Amino acid sequence: MSDPRIDGYARALFEVARAEGNIDTVEDELFRFARTYESNDDLRNALTDEMIPATRRLSIVEDLLGPKANPTTTQLVSMVIGAGRGRDLPAIVDRLVARASTAKSQEVAEVRTAVPLSEDQQARLAAGLAKATGKQVNLKVVVDPTVLGGLVATVGDTVIDGTVRTRIDQLKSRL
Amino acid sequence: MNVLGIAVTAGHFLAGEEIVVDSQGHVTTHSWILPETAEIIWGGLASLIIFFLLVKFAGPAIKKGMAARTQRIQDQLDGAAQAKAAATAEAAQIRQAKGDIAAERSRIMAEAEAQAAAIRQDSAARLASELADLEAKGHADIAAARGRVGDELRSEIARLSSAAVDHVVSGSLDESTHQDLIEQFISRLEAMA
Repeated sequence: MSDPRIDGYARALFEVARAEGNIDTVEDELFRFARTYESNDDLRNALTDEMIPATRRLSIVEDLLGPKANPTTTQLVSMVIGAGRGRDLPAIVDRLVARASTAKSQEVAEVRTAVPLSEDQQARLAAGLAKATGKQVNLKVVVDPTVLGGLVATVGDTVIDGTVRTRIDQLKSRL
Repeated sequence: MNVLGIAVTAGHFLAGEEIVVDSQGHVTTHSWILPETAEIIWGGLASLIIFFLLVKFAGPAIKKGMAARTQRIQDQLDGAAQAKAAATAEAAQIRQAKGDIAAERSRIMAEAEAQAAAIRQDSAARLASELADLEAKGHADIAAARGRVGDELRSEIARLSSAAVDHVVSGSLDESTHQDLIEQFISRLEAMA
């Protein structure tokens, strides 16, 4: 269900990134940060704990992203955390990515893999997903060790699963 | 000499009889059993007068007293008869009541025994039913516990098996295997197109 507040933040972040002229980079960095944020309980607790002063939470963001990420990415994350909307950060970023993809007439393709993919593999994967789904895809790769091996791609409502985890789960179900 | 002696002497004197008085003043009559004639006359007259006076004046009162006494005695006799009749009736009632009490006691005893027998029978039936229920529940609990333990055991085996499979699989996946899996996935996508 669409949340007007999340939509508003996502639209604001998208417009800022687009105005800065680095929407692709910022979108990608925000997507990866959101996935890390989702999977790391300590980081999520630290950035959503209102007992921790906002300046301290913002300095954590600065320490994490400052040296590596685009300054626009750091500022946008800081804005969301500073506004006390840390719990909504993954949803805001997902909405932003969807909005950016729509602007490029693309569909977000989230790919989870146990090991990082090479540039060549990402390009061939994007091409394969585009052919398989008939849509231009905005590939987002998430390194997730819980899949054990292989890949799982989600494009809209379509899920193409080739993970070892799923095969093991199927085996367990049979057992 | 007393008043009677004086009167007798006076009578003798009036009758012209010789009065013999001893030295000590005692009068001596001519007969040891018969009074003097004068004494008879005067004594008789005095007795008649007294008798007349008694009949005239004391008679009605005596009659009335006697009648009252007779009536009182009759009343007492009637009261006693009534009391006796009442006592007899009450005795009859008591006897009847006693008989009724005995019959009531017998009836109550019989009823109590019947109720006791019914309660004993009911208790025995209920006890038997409860025992049967408890036994059935015990069997059901045992069966449920057996099933639960079996389920828990199967679940634990599945969990351990899953952990073992994860451990074995993750340990056996090296870099080349990962790359093979990725390439297989991409090839599958290309084949789908």
